[in-house]
This record gives sequence, structure tokens and C-alpha cells, in this order.
Amino acid sequence: MFTPGSKYLIAITALSTVSLALYMLLVHPSALGAVALIGLVAATSLITGVALFTRDGHTPEGQTSAATVDTPTPSMWPLVGAAGFALLLVGTITTPIVFIFGIVAIFAALVEWTVQAWSEGASGDNAYNASIRQRILNPIEYPILAAVGVAVIIFSFSRVMLATNKDAGAIIFIVVAAVVSVVGMLISLRPSLKKSIIGTIVVVAAVGLIGAGIASMGIGLREDLVVAAEEDHYAHQECGAEKSDHFDKGVSETISATSGADATIELIDGKLTAQVQGIEGLQDSITVRRANPSNIIFRNKDAGEFRLAANLGKKQIADGVMEDVVTCTQLISEGAEQWLTLTINKPAVSGEPYTLSIPGLEGQSIVVVVP
Amino acid sequence: MNHTKNPSNGMTLVNRLGGVICRLKPLILGTAGTVFLASCGRNAPQDTFQPKGPNAQKIDTLQKPVFAVAGIIGVIVAVAVVYSMVKFRDRGQPIPKQSHGNPALEITLTIIPALILAVVGVFTFRTVFDLNKTSDTEMIINVTGQQWWWEYDYPANNEYGITQPIITSGQLVIPVGTKVLLRETSRDVIHSYWIPALNGKRDAVPGRITTNRIEADEPGIYAGQCTEFCGLSHANMRMEAVALSKEDFAKWVSNQLKTYTAPAENTLAKEGEAVFLNQCTRCHQVNGLTRADGTPVIAAPDENVWSGAAPNLSHLMSRNTFAGAMFNLVTPECRTDVWKSESLTFGAKYLAGVDEPCLNQTDLRGWLRNAPAMKPMYANPALLAATGGKYRGMPNLGLSESDIEKLVAYLLTLK
Repeated sequence: MFTPGSKYLIAITALSTVSLALYMLLVHPSALGAVALIGLVAATSLITGVALFTRDGHTPEGQTSAATVDTPTPSMWPLVGAAGFALLLVGTITTPIVFIFGIVAIFAALVEWTVQAWSEGASGDNAYNASIRQRILNPIEYPILAAVGVAVIIFSFSRVMLATNKDAGAIIFIVVAAVVSVVGMLISLRPSLKKSIIGTIVVVAAVGLIGAGIASMGIGLREDLVVAAEEDHYAHQECGAEKSDHFDKGVSETISATSGADATIELIDGKLTAQVQGIEGLQDSITVRRANPSNIIFRNKDAGEFRLAANLGKKQIADGVMEDVVTCTQLISEGAEQWLTLTINKPAVSGEPYTLSIPGLEGQSIVVVVP
Repeated sequence: MNHTKNPSNGMTLVNRLGGVICRLKPLILGTAGTVFLASCGRNAPQDTFQPKGPNAQKIDTLQKPVFAVAGIIGVIVAVAVVYSMVKFRDRGQPIPKQSHGNPALEITLTIIPALILAVVGVFTFRTVFDLNKTSDTEMIINVTGQQWWWEYDYPANNEYGITQPIITSGQLVIPVGTKVLLRETSRDVIHSYWIPALNGKRDAVPGRITTNRIEADEPGIYAGQCTEFCGLSHANMRMEAVALSKEDFAKWVSNQLKTYTAPAENTLAKEGEAVFLNQCTRCHQVNGLTRADGTPVIAAPDENVWSGAAPNLSHLMSRNTFAGAMFNLVTPECRTDVWKSESLTFGAKYLAGVDEPCLNQTDLRGWLRNAPAMKPMYANPALLAATGGKYRGMPNLGLSESDIEKLVAYLLTLK
């Protein structure tokens, strides 16, 4: 009644079920191992059910199975599907990205295998069946493979650039771009070049790039990036008069929006002035709404590089330990402008008003009033 | 295609249509009558056709002729359509001869609407530019929308005696005959500020400042309504602009700048102050209020309210409304007395504020007892996961009747 293959699968299913029961009883019902064993039981049950339903592909003697008329072409998709299930299970107990890869592999296997199986029943001519399969799947496969290929190249190249120092990175970038251009030109000048040669060049280049990317990942980020990440340079504002190595990198010196500004602060001839839409003349204080992001434009019209700093009182960082609350623009040169967005939730303590000032420039400040 | 029609079918259809119209005649007449009578309403404080200031007057001056032209064109088109439907209805006659193209007619019918739109466009653009003018502003007020109330803060302006910024909510107080520029924004979602008698509407958009000119000709109260759907209590997000004579406005400013006076010891109001300190200052600020040790009380609505602020209750009893102007702080009789008063006496009545006989105890106590029951808000602690436990609106504080009694006594002192 049961074929040898079915008996084998039934035994595996029974064994995994017993393992699951013992694990849940002796270890923990909701431990991650139980999840993995539940997956194993489900997978073996499914395979066993299919084997039983198809009688393990056994055909009684004297009968001719449709499968014997034309042998199906070999397919890698069952293997991919199985790998997908394995990734799915591993992903449930490790990281979500593995789980996602599992889902993608299973989905790809389902689509490809289904279409392949369907196309093989179209006729007795394997070549014709293959052409049908290609006509359906190639428009999907090629863009996806191209996108994956581009992503792998970009990712690999970015790893190389992040691992090498900036000067070497620029040289590598120029050399790679030049090589790609020269090889492309040579190929275009020799249209009769064999496909195998072009294919070899492309494969060698891709393997080399991926290899370099993997090697760079092994080396890790270059030193200045490691230090910046460890010290949180890019998130931490440095609002002094001096130029900061990190915060003042890549200074933005123009702004495109003006209609959303609460005030415009200008530094002219060593004097700080404030203008507010709707109020005539220059102001020595501005009103900022509480608990609402308020945008301020800072324009440096003075010779030299300056930044605008907002001094927003103090906050307690530990018992009895207070820290100044300061936010600022980057250091900008003469003629440049930059946004400063303030979100102030509470009015200032009496006698200690919030102010806008220029670090390094004494005696100039604009009072910020929060009603 | 066979164009031959059966005369009896055509007549049957017309007869059926006539029968339906006859049956619906009471409904049609009733609807038309209701619309006509509604247009005759006098008690319509948000009527767009009753301008009370130069900016609203500009809109009115534009919209009336445009409506007239549009109405005349609408009537002509409707009459032509009805005439064609009746005159040329299907009686089974053969399809008449079809013609295609009539250049003279088509050019005429293109040029006439284009000319009408060009004329309307010229006047519309002129009005739009006039309404956007900010260079002649005499006073600015920051208007901040938040679910579901409006906050007004007045930056320092020595010309009007505003030596310190003033912050209030519910009622926007302005001097008559003064070009006031409202600088609008929002703390959460898009709202829209509209006092129809004083100007058109202008959206208050988070992260942007939009400007809106208003000016009132006469002292009075002008009602408005948020006109951009902004969530659960959008319909209850109201506002009122109160126009005072310049002398009365100076008195109002002077009162708003008065320092806080604590209630006398051993009074119910003093006990109410303690309840306020304990329960209300988490969100509501009263300028000048101090704790027993003399330290100033700074409310922290940003830690409790999703949008970051709660109405500042300093001088609460100088206003006539509360809870986003949804409820009157004064009884209907006292409110009518203020709203209906003559221009000359209006200011004095409004500035008198709210005293105990005029206090709308029913709504104020109801609000203190269970605010979410009176105004739809997201204030159920069990449903605040999406906002990290922060409220949108005022929660039910579970105050005892005794606490409410004390709080009412205390709030009455905030004049």
C-alpha cells in the first residue's frame, strides 16, 4: 500500500513530530527551537502528503504514464524552493533579511516552476515548450536580473570606496571609469568580436568587483568614518566660533524656500539685525511660537565666516548637572544664507531669555521670546 | 442603424416623466422654498455677504457681480437646455438632418466666454493682490491652529502698548480700523482660518507661515469656523474675532499685561489654585503662577499633548468662550447682551469680562467633570498607543465635585 519513499517520509514526519512534542514539553513551548521544529513538521507533512497522494510516482506495470512519453527537462527550481523554505525557517530565528530572502526564493521558485511545468505540457516538443516558457518569463526575468546585477555592482563598489582613503578612492573611481570607457569603445570598434570574449570580460570584471567588495567588507570602513561614527560627529553640532572638522563639512550656502520663515536674521558690518514679515524696520527681538518648528533665515553679509547660534537655556542631564542647550547653523561665508529651525516647547525662565547670537562676536544678540 | 421610432413609446416615456414630476412636485417645491427661506435668514453670523471690514468688502465687491454674471449665464444655459429638451423631444419623428461645423457660431461662442473670463480675471487678480498686501500692516498677530482650537499671540508692539507678548485663545481681539496681519501656521494638521465678515479664508499649514489681512470697521464680535477638515472635532473648532475701539483695545492690552494676583488665603479660590497646580498645570499655563516655594510654574503640554500645546489660561475670564470657542463662558443672556449691544457700549460690556452671575456654570462644570464627553477628542488613555500616550484634546481628569467647585472659584479670579 505504501511505497518505500512514502514510508521513509512518514517516518521523518513522525520523528520530527515526536521531537517537537519532547522539545515543547522538556524545553519550552514557545522557544525559538519549537518554531523551527514546527516548520520542520509542516514541511515534512506537506512532502509526505504529496508523496502519498501521487503514490510516490509509482506506475503499475503495463500502464503508460504521461510522464514517460516525454521526459521533463531538468529544473533547478525545486532546489531553490527548498532553499527558500530553509531560509524562511532560519530567518524566523535569526534576522528578518534572511526571512525576506526565503520569501523571495519561494515566490520565485513557485512562479518559475509553475510556468515551466505548464509549458512542458504544451506539446511533445521540448524546444517549443522552452520557447513558450521564455516568452512568458523572460520579460520578467531580465529586468529583475538586471536590477539585481546593478544593485550588486553598486553595493560592491560602495564597499570599496568606503574602505579606501579618500585620495585613493578618487583615483580608483577615475581609473575604473576610464577602463569601462576604453573597453566599451574597443568593443564598439570591433563589432565582430566573439560573444564569448565579451562575456568573459564582463564576467571577469563582475567577479573582480564583487570580490573586491567582499574583501573591502572584510577590511571595514576607513579610519575617519569609524571615528566619526563612534563619536557621532554628524549628529552632534559644534557651535563654536571655530570651524568644525565634521559639522561644517559640505556647507549649504543657499536656501530655496523663503515663505515659511518666521524671521530673517542678518549680520551686517558686525551688527546682528532681525526682520519680521509684517513689522516695519529692524527688530531686537523676535517672537517664536511655543511647541512649533519655527524657521529662521540667517544671512551673513559680513566679511568672514560666521554661524548663528540659538542659546535656549539649560537642561538637566543628571542630578545637579546642567548643560547649555544650543543649536546653530553651519559656518557660512559672506553672501551665504542658511536655515535654522527652532522648536521651543517652553517659555524662558525669567531673567534668562533665549537669544540668537554669533559665536565669537561679542555684544550682538537678538532676544527670542516664547509667549 | 434603424432610426425609425415608435410614436407610442416616445409618448409613453414623456407621460411617465410627467407623472414622476407631478408626484415629486411637493418635494421639489418644498426644497426650493426651504432654500429660498434659508437665504432670507438674518441670524447668520458667518454670512459671506455681510462684510464688516475693507478686506471682506473687497471680496464682496468682486463676488456679487461675478455671481450675477454667472447666474445670468446659468439661467440662459438652463433655459436653452430645457427649451431644447421640450421643443425637440422625441415624438417618434425622423432624425433631422445632421450638420457639422459652423465656424462663425463656434468662434462667437469661444470669444464671448473668453472675454467674460478675461474681465472677471482682471478684477479677481487685482483683488487677490490687494488681499495679499502686507506692506501697510499696522499690527501683527501670530495665529496657531491645533486640534481643535486656535492660539493667538501678540508680539511686543509699543505703538499699541504691548510691552510684553500677549497670549490668548478662542477669541482674537483686534482694534477697529487697524490693518492687522495674521501670521498663520499649524502645530499638527492643516487647518483654515476664516472670519467671513472680515476676510476670506487662509490655510494654516504646518511648517509654513501664511498671511491673512483682517480689519474691522465697527466694534463687535465676528464669528468664524475652521474650514479645512482637521479631524474628529473639526466642526467644533470655532473662532471669534472681537473688534474693540482703539481706547478699549488699549484697556484690553493693559488688562492682559497685568501681573498675576493670587487668591486670598483661606478662600475657596485659594483651594482651587492648589487643585489647579496639582491637576491643570501639566498642560495649562497661567502666567505668574508660582508654587508654594515661590518657583514659577511652567506648564509642560509638550510632554502630555500630541500637538505640543494647550490653551494658556491667563486672564481666562476676559474671554467669552472656552474649549476652542465651542462653549460660551457666559450665560446665553449675558452673551446676547454683549453681542447685541451698540457699538458705543460694546467695548465696556466686553471688557467687563465674566463674573459669577454671568458665568456659564453648566458647561464649565461639565467640561471640568468630563471634557471628552462634551467634545469629541482623542483622550481615552487606552487608545493612545499611536501617539505615545499623548492626548489630542483634554482628558477626563476624574475630578471630584468638590475639586470642581474649587476650580470654578479659582478660574473666576483669572480676569
